[in-house]
Amino acid sequence: MTELLANLALGFSVAAHPYNFGFCLLGALVGTLVGVLPGIGTVATVAMLLPITFGLPPVGALIMLAGIYYGAQYGGSTTSILVNIPGEATSVVTCLDGHQMARQGRAGAALSIAAIGSFFAGCVATVLVAALGAPLTSLALLFGPAEYFALMVLGLIFAVVLAKGSVLKAIAMILLGLLLSMVGSDLETGAGRMTFDIAELSDGIGFANVAMGVFGFAEIIRNLEMSQASRDILQSKIKGLMPTRQDLIDSSGAIARGTVLGSLLGILPGGGAVVASFAAYTFEKRVSKNPERFGRGEIRGVAAPEAANNAAAQTSFIPLLTLGIPPNAVMALMVGAMTIHGIVPGPQVMTKQPELFWGMIASMWLGNLMLVIINLPLVGVWVTLLRVPYRLLYPSIIVFCCIGIYSINNSPTDVVIAASSAWSVIGWSSTTSSRRRWCWPSCSGR
Amino acid sequence: MSGEAKSSPKRGGFQFKVRGPRDFYGGLALIAVAIIAILASSELPGQHGFAFGPGTAPRMFATMLAISGALVALCGLFIDGPKIGSFAFRGPAYVLAAILLFAGMIRGIDLRMIGIPFKVPPLGLVISTFTAFVISIMGSTEMRWLESLIAALAMTAFCVGLFVYLLGLPFQLWPFY
Repeated sequence: MTELLANLALGFSVAAHPYNFGFCLLGALVGTLVGVLPGIGTVATVAMLLPITFGLPPVGALIMLAGIYYGAQYGGSTTSILVNIPGEATSVVTCLDGHQMARQGRAGAALSIAAIGSFFAGCVATVLVAALGAPLTSLALLFGPAEYFALMVLGLIFAVVLAKGSVLKAIAMILLGLLLSMVGSDLETGAGRMTFDIAELSDGIGFANVAMGVFGFAEIIRNLEMSQASRDILQSKIKGLMPTRQDLIDSSGAIARGTVLGSLLGILPGGGAVVASFAAYTFEKRVSKNPERFGRGEIRGVAAPEAANNAAAQTSFIPLLTLGIPPNAVMALMVGAMTIHGIVPGPQVMTKQPELFWGMIASMWLGNLMLVIINLPLVGVWVTLLRVPYRLLYPSIIVFCCIGIYSINNSPTDVVIAASSAWSVIGWSSTTSSRRRWCWPSCSGR
Repeated sequence: MSGEAKSSPKRGGFQFKVRGPRDFYGGLALIAVAIIAILASSELPGQHGFAFGPGTAPRMFATMLAISGALVALCGLFIDGPKIGSFAFRGPAYVLAAILLFAGMIRGIDLRMIGIPFKVPPLGLVISTFTAFVISIMGSTEMRWLESLIAALAMTAFCVGLFVYLLGLPFQLWPFY
């Protein structure tokens, strides 16, 4: 216990350093921005900013990238509630009740409950990361290749189980991901696998490139048809940001349940914030005494998923920091960010770089505190941003993505890979109703 | 949506109907990918004894992918599913063109190696960014020229400032040094 407190003290001293504090704030701001703006997701943003972090100190860079992930969970709810368009995939269900509440003139209450729920979940999840960090790390240090292989298999199985829709298609997507990870030189013999004699492919297809294509370009292309007309931003002034006593009593149970559910799903591979928010909403509806109120402005329907997605966003760092295994796409990019800085994700991080490990945990708590302030009193600023026409926004994102991918390796081929993976996803999803789920098992040595 | 006749199977006719076109063609696409992968890795040495060769895993995964693709296609054949939605090509085509142009222009590209007598010199970050922005914005139906050009200039300036001056990445800015 004293050790934990000492570690946390170290963490806070790192996180409170003005430099890291600034990066945390920057991450929270960028996260809120991409959360609020529909049409650009967390994965694309983190992928886009990967090259930028190259020149930063590692602790600051990772604190910023983490801030983007959980910051987006806060920002996403704002757009869901006020515009009825999910700003982020994780706040799709928040639209259902959140926008109804806004229609009934209770936008302020919905926004504040979403933020309070997220903050509570964030605090609990931070404690969970800190508490589970040490024991899981000591366990992970005992792991050998066999145990890691078993974990990977478990991860793939979870990816199938947690996928929405057809199990068969989920399996097919995992196989496709495995097949794509085969491209490149064989680890043992050096023979080029499926490289078509293209030199640039001999290193394999980078995860960042495909992620950018799938989550960046493809999303934008799909959103192109979304015109400004479909956005009916609530014009009336948001009033009453403080929730009433009754609101707090009503939603406290939902927040607690959402936090527990989100924390669990965040740790599981294949889970993450999207699954958590859906699961929390469904669960809340099931345990509710009057489920017919859901979809008609029930405050619990806002509180539970918002708490869950933030909890999941933060607990998904647990497998990354202790076992070195990314449970979802954003965490896979975090692996990339760590590798850029020469940090090997896994149990060694905590023993070799305690200031990174505990600094990140402490920064999560600070970041959550900042986000409440960024999101509640400043909500008007973000709503103004929603008025930026999409026709100017999307070319900027495209250009930014292009430069970002190019700069990772100074390689135009990477840009082409991203573009082609975006196209194959679009082609596939316009023919198939399955949700895409790319698995990128980094362990697949063979 | 347009008619009931389409969604209900024809009675009496001998014609066979794909019930879930989306899944059917999606499955076929997976099979195609698997076949390409099998062909591409066919020359790699495979398994000898218990040891994996470099070709074993790709062929194994490709075969499994082909099987699951076939199952998806079969499901599409017999189970009612969504139709293939209409797909607007205009916007995506411009976006794709913009991305590819960026890739081709920033460091230049020599198309003579694939038989097209055309060579683009390295044009640098400024021109590539500006072109990519303008091309991709042309995909929008709500495009206005003046606004777009101003936005393109602003974005180019922002990117140059951020990537080259603030982050110090070694980019070539102009076609000449």
